[in-house]
Amino acid sequence: MSKHPTIAEHLEASGVSRRSFLQLCSMLMVTAPVGLALTGKKSVLQVAEAIGKTKRPSVIWLHFQDCTGCTETLLRTSAPDVAHLILDVISLDYHETLMAASGAQAEAALRSAIADNAGKYVLVVEGAIPTRDNGVYMELGGRPAVQVVREVAAQAGAVIAIGSCASWGGVPSADPNPTGAVGVDYVVSGKPIVNLPGCPPNPYNLLALVLEYVTMGRLPELDEFNRPKFAYERVIHENCPRRAHFDAGRFAAAFGDEGHRKGWCLYKLGCKGPITHAACATRHFNEIPGVWPIGIGAPCVGCTEKGVVWRMGTFETVPIHLATPPDTYPPIYSAAGGIKVGAAALVGAVAGAVGGATWVASQRFQSSAEAGVTRVNVDREHAEKLKASAAKPIDKPVFKPVSTPDDKKED
Amino acid sequence: MAITRRELISTVAKAGVPAAVAMTVGAGSLHAETESIPIPSAAVGLLYDASICIGCKACVSACSEANDTPADTRGDALHQAPSDLNDLTRNIIKLYKPEDGSPSSFVKRQCMHCLDPACAAGCPFQALHKDPETGIVSWTAEECIGCRYCTITCPYHVPRFQWKGFNPRVTKCELCSQRLEKGLEPGCSSVCPTGAVIFGPRTVLLSEAKRRIKKNPGRYYQERVYGETDNGGTQCLYLSRVSFEKLGLPELGPESVPARTLRWQRRLYQYFALPALLYVGLVQVIRQRLKGHEQEAHEREKETGLRAQL
Amino acid sequence: MSTATIGNAPVTSREARWERAVPVYGFPVVNGFFLALVAMTLVAFALTAYRELAGLGPVSGMNDAYGWGIWKTFNVMVLTGLGSGAFAVGIAAWLFKRKRLHALMRMALLTSFLAYACGLLLLGIDAGRPWNFYWIVFPWKWNMHSPLAEVAICMSIYAMIPLALENIPVVLERLWYFDSRLRPGVERMERGLHKFFPWIIAAAYLLPGMHQSSLGALMLLAGERVHPLWQTPFLPLLYLGAATFMSFGCVAGTTMLCCVVWKRVMDMEVLDEAARITAWLVFGWLGLRLLDILFRGALGTAFHADRFAGVFWLETVLISVGGWMLYRSVRNHDTRMMFLGYVLSSLGGMIYRFSPTTLAFRPNPESLYFPSTIEVLVALGFICMGVAAFLLVVKRFGILPAPIQEWHDMASYFRFRRPYIRWTGYFKYGFFGENEPTDSD
Repeated sequence: MSKHPTIAEHLEASGVSRRSFLQLCSMLMVTAPVGLALTGKKSVLQVAEAIGKTKRPSVIWLHFQDCTGCTETLLRTSAPDVAHLILDVISLDYHETLMAASGAQAEAALRSAIADNAGKYVLVVEGAIPTRDNGVYMELGGRPAVQVVREVAAQAGAVIAIGSCASWGGVPSADPNPTGAVGVDYVVSGKPIVNLPGCPPNPYNLLALVLEYVTMGRLPELDEFNRPKFAYERVIHENCPRRAHFDAGRFAAAFGDEGHRKGWCLYKLGCKGPITHAACATRHFNEIPGVWPIGIGAPCVGCTEKGVVWRMGTFETVPIHLATPPDTYPPIYSAAGGIKVGAAALVGAVAGAVGGATWVASQRFQSSAEAGVTRVNVDREHAEKLKASAAKPIDKPVFKPVSTPDDKKED
Repeated sequence: MAITRRELISTVAKAGVPAAVAMTVGAGSLHAETESIPIPSAAVGLLYDASICIGCKACVSACSEANDTPADTRGDALHQAPSDLNDLTRNIIKLYKPEDGSPSSFVKRQCMHCLDPACAAGCPFQALHKDPETGIVSWTAEECIGCRYCTITCPYHVPRFQWKGFNPRVTKCELCSQRLEKGLEPGCSSVCPTGAVIFGPRTVLLSEAKRRIKKNPGRYYQERVYGETDNGGTQCLYLSRVSFEKLGLPELGPESVPARTLRWQRRLYQYFALPALLYVGLVQVIRQRLKGHEQEAHEREKETGLRAQL
Repeated sequence: MSTATIGNAPVTSREARWERAVPVYGFPVVNGFFLALVAMTLVAFALTAYRELAGLGPVSGMNDAYGWGIWKTFNVMVLTGLGSGAFAVGIAAWLFKRKRLHALMRMALLTSFLAYACGLLLLGIDAGRPWNFYWIVFPWKWNMHSPLAEVAICMSIYAMIPLALENIPVVLERLWYFDSRLRPGVERMERGLHKFFPWIIAAAYLLPGMHQSSLGALMLLAGERVHPLWQTPFLPLLYLGAATFMSFGCVAGTTMLCCVVWKRVMDMEVLDEAARITAWLVFGWLGLRLLDILFRGALGTAFHADRFAGVFWLETVLISVGGWMLYRSVRNHDTRMMFLGYVLSSLGGMIYRFSPTTLAFRPNPESLYFPSTIEVLVALGFICMGVAAFLLVVKRFGILPAPIQEWHDMASYFRFRRPYIRWTGYFKYGFFGENEPTDSD
């Protein structure tokens, strides 16, 4: 067997059954039903053939500020076989948790892994990278983490940031972010970087991504946050198994209440599903259906979204984008309009005032015995004089004399 | 005696008024005549069969997507749950469900695209306009003064006014004309899973509706297509198991609302002839009256020594 | 010889004959009431600015079912009916030769102009996209068959041209007396105006006849959504008819009220004439209305226990009682009964014109319209603006009819009670020209 066997060769040598391999391939097809050239093939056999012909991809896995949860999610599959199978398909050449070596030996292993597959290996980064104070908060072999990741990434074919920490900083970057933790794409440039946020992310996304890269030689389509669209295009809300309860307006109001026990929608408990882009609703964890936060009655915390997890309150509800019709119907005639007390009072007051004033005025028609007598203090004598003096003919009448030129002509 | 200009005008007016009355009113034909409404050459529309609608509301979502309008979430901030057609909703599925448990039905409401639309008949500056070819009744912002007369006149209560904001718009179904131009179907009919709403030329839809009635005797209310003749005919047609009136489609009779109600109005203002002649006649009468009035005022001026008031 | 009243007792006196329009003198323009009106107007202006920014929804009770609120249905459809005095009184005076009604003409013209001006302003505020009103100057954009186009076009043309021109002589008269140097110009303008008077006056009767009936035709298009007690092909005619008796009530009633408030003599010859005409208009209108309802077979709905029947009986009773009071008052010159008759019949007419758009409009059974506070304040503010303008104009121009004696009294009043106005540049020759140097001085 050559130093770089194809996957098929390696599996055969490891004694993995063809059946197990095909199962893995079909899992991949389920994981990435659209968006990948690899799984877009017509049948599992074709996928298996394509993968089988490929040389085992060399993967270098670096740990920084992390909890090793992302590694755990890779290893803690429901059946140990599956984890082994994954590790048989990829060639995990350097992984600090999984390898026996340590100290100088480990450093040497890293250097040789880089040298062996320079320009071809896939660098998987787990954990955030501290940058404050020249990165002194984390050193590997005496070098700051920033330097290590830059060095290893420089010769990698592609960089995959696994988990939310590596994608944008994750938990270590939560306020006040004492170490200045950032994601890989903040410190590495010039290499294709794919983020697989999640806390933890689904390991099949990693597998599909790596195999797509090595078999088809390219990375899948990414969204604006460099997340592969095949896994992060849609929000959890769209495929949530509790969606029917949302549409019917049935919400759990408190943990342990009747609605919560009956499996109603967790929106009002702060579920971030409506704004969280992830495939959790369709690809559950540990290969066990229903094993994912919402499935076990815990509201989604939005771990794949930079602005949501560790930024929004746990029980804070989120706005609904792309709202859709509910499971209820409006009646044929819908109610509109209403009477407000203030307005009614105002209208009443105006009507009363106008009516009252009219009534009072009408009474003055009776009571004012002097109506019709000019009350204003006028010098009556002078007025009479004026009247007498005005009674002379005026020289310029308003109207012309009635006889018109037309009439004259007729005459 | 020479005929003065005044006399000439007066004579013309006296002879002209009856002539104008006869011309505009149309002697003897006032009551019987029902003007036939032209059907646009390429009239398109929708056929909605309430009896096979499952109320999935895919058409509601597709409508707002196709028309690029935000979902109306004013109800509960969670759902696109408009209670009726409104400024964000051109298409809606409603439910008729009587208390007594008698048959219920969904109904899809959108513009009926009447052959003689009351909204366009009332619109003062032709902002609502029926396309002469496709017959689609559409709204243009440039001509609309926001008088909301269309919301008063439409017998189906379709056009809706945007109540918020300084630049309000009138919203109504325009049969996704922008999609039709691209050769696509309207949003609603393109997503309907059961074929409860289909799009097509009116003639085709009408024959399809009649075919369904023939194929399923006793299934449909009155074995009748709503919109074939109702309100002078509409381009969107309805089939239903329950009475149309209960679904909010009023029984308007075969004559369109504008033809029925504005007949006199239209005749009286035809060519503006009658008002013009009336005006000329009025001028003549007032001229005569003014003459007498001036005479009296003149005398009174002499008497009182005060300037006459007009 | 003419009959006048002192209190309710009719007196016969040559002195009482209304012959001349005389300004109301001896009462200040600015008083508490006037300031309150101005304040209401300013409030309405401020709220109008808010409406233009926020849109109609937040300021009004209008909704999808009731697209028209009181701005249109009350301030325009009802108040321009009240303000059709120039039309109704004018036709009675000019066409039907009721010559004594000329005494009320200036009141009619002024009330009409103010009602129309305020109505048109509110129409612009009510319109959602008023900037598109400029289409009104392009006739090919008009929808000739639209009653609303007819209303909008006719109403603005009428208020801006014939009605405004008819009010010009009052202004010219004021200028003529104001300063003798203005007289040649004023006289030239008067002569120019005289030439066009027949055309102006004829337009002033044709246009309101058209648009006041079209206001009724507006609701024809609403079809079955208007209750059958109101919806009839005769709606335009009934609207026009209601406008005639309402506007008579407005003109004569306002004149009577002014006479009481400002202690003017009442010429019962004119008032009786007006009341008689109004009473017959009311009876004719009622007859037409009831016959129409009877022949359409809608009378049965008047006996249902619902709001429509209530409104129908309210307006019918108001109008008929008002008409009856007017008819009775003519007999014994009872001014109070006459005034209340005008008020009641006009009120009934107002409700009638208000009903088809609002009270009897049934767009859907679940919906309701009631104006919001802001809406009421704006509507009220624009009415207050009209009233304030009326008070100002009546006190500064010759509008209210009075006997000849009143004119001389006024001149005397200004000469002796307001001598200081002689010094101000503005009132160079006194308020009404009475201080002008004459030959005898």
